[in-house]
Amino acid sequence: MRPLRSILLRTTPIALAVGAFGVSFGVLAVGVGFPGWSVVLMSVLVFAGSAQFAAVGVIAAGGGWVAAVVTGALLNLRYLATGIAVARSLPGGRLRRALLGQLVVDESFALALADGAPGRPDGRTLIAAGAYIYLTWVAGTVLGVLLGPVLGDPMRLGMDAALPALFVALLWPMLAGHRAVRCALAGAAVALLLAPFTPGGVPLAGAAVVGLWLAR
Amino acid sequence: MAGPLALAVVAGLAALSFLMRGAGPFLASIPPGISARMAGLAPALLAGLVAIELTNARGLLHLDVKVVAVVVAAGLAAVRAPLLVSVIAGALVAAVLRLTLHA
Repeated sequence: MRPLRSILLRTTPIALAVGAFGVSFGVLAVGVGFPGWSVVLMSVLVFAGSAQFAAVGVIAAGGGWVAAVVTGALLNLRYLATGIAVARSLPGGRLRRALLGQLVVDESFALALADGAPGRPDGRTLIAAGAYIYLTWVAGTVLGVLLGPVLGDPMRLGMDAALPALFVALLWPMLAGHRAVRCALAGAAVALLLAPFTPGGVPLAGAAVVGLWLAR
Repeated sequence: MAGPLALAVVAGLAALSFLMRGAGPFLASIPPGISARMAGLAPALLAGLVAIELTNARGLLHLDVKVVAVVVAAGLAAVRAPLLVSVIAGALVAAVLRLTLHA
């Protein structure tokens, strides 16, 4: 069993990167008009970078709250699968394991996989790394919310370009294999075709449907 | 932005994320067919988000410094730069271009 100190040491660079990511989330979400308290509350309760950015992006693009929630939730669907994968590695009854499962993010899951036996991610690493990353994510968000107004006009700083830059940077590593490329191209095309005629949210729902349809 | 709207987004997303993360111990396993299809969701949604960010209300490419920022971010991601580097570079490129073009 890996000592706690060693788990935390190994998680530190990742936790710091996630913290910096939290800073950019705080700055950006406040920049597009979210009240500071709601931005911090979102990081505390949701703890999922890409989903939070996507939800904020939908609102920034003029969509409603349902569209924002659905888009963010769809990006989080992978946590259903990771939740099942870690369920057997966590201690306690079902309820306790469901609560501990909230510490799963891509980063803590990857570390737990590396420490565990094949098909059985390490529960201790998942909990320790997940808690550490959670703290830096929330702390980073608070810092970003405080920094946001000091930084001034978000348009001048180019923060509005950070959202599409983030989405494309998240997308790029997924484009391995022709199926993923097909899903991405079709998703973009459907979103563009629907955007002029439908209210915010529908274009992304359309993109999700073709993604599911073309995935295999 | 109104507080209730922000609260609705936070509460809705928090509830769904909580359920998805916590469902593991109560589920057996996801049929492989369904998880294979789920793999198509993220690329399609992210590409859709990029497309919407870069176009105007009529669906036409909105020629803005954002386009350059996205190209820079994609290029950096292609050479495996960390996510944060791509994002900051994209924002910086947009900021510098705006300052230069509007100076």
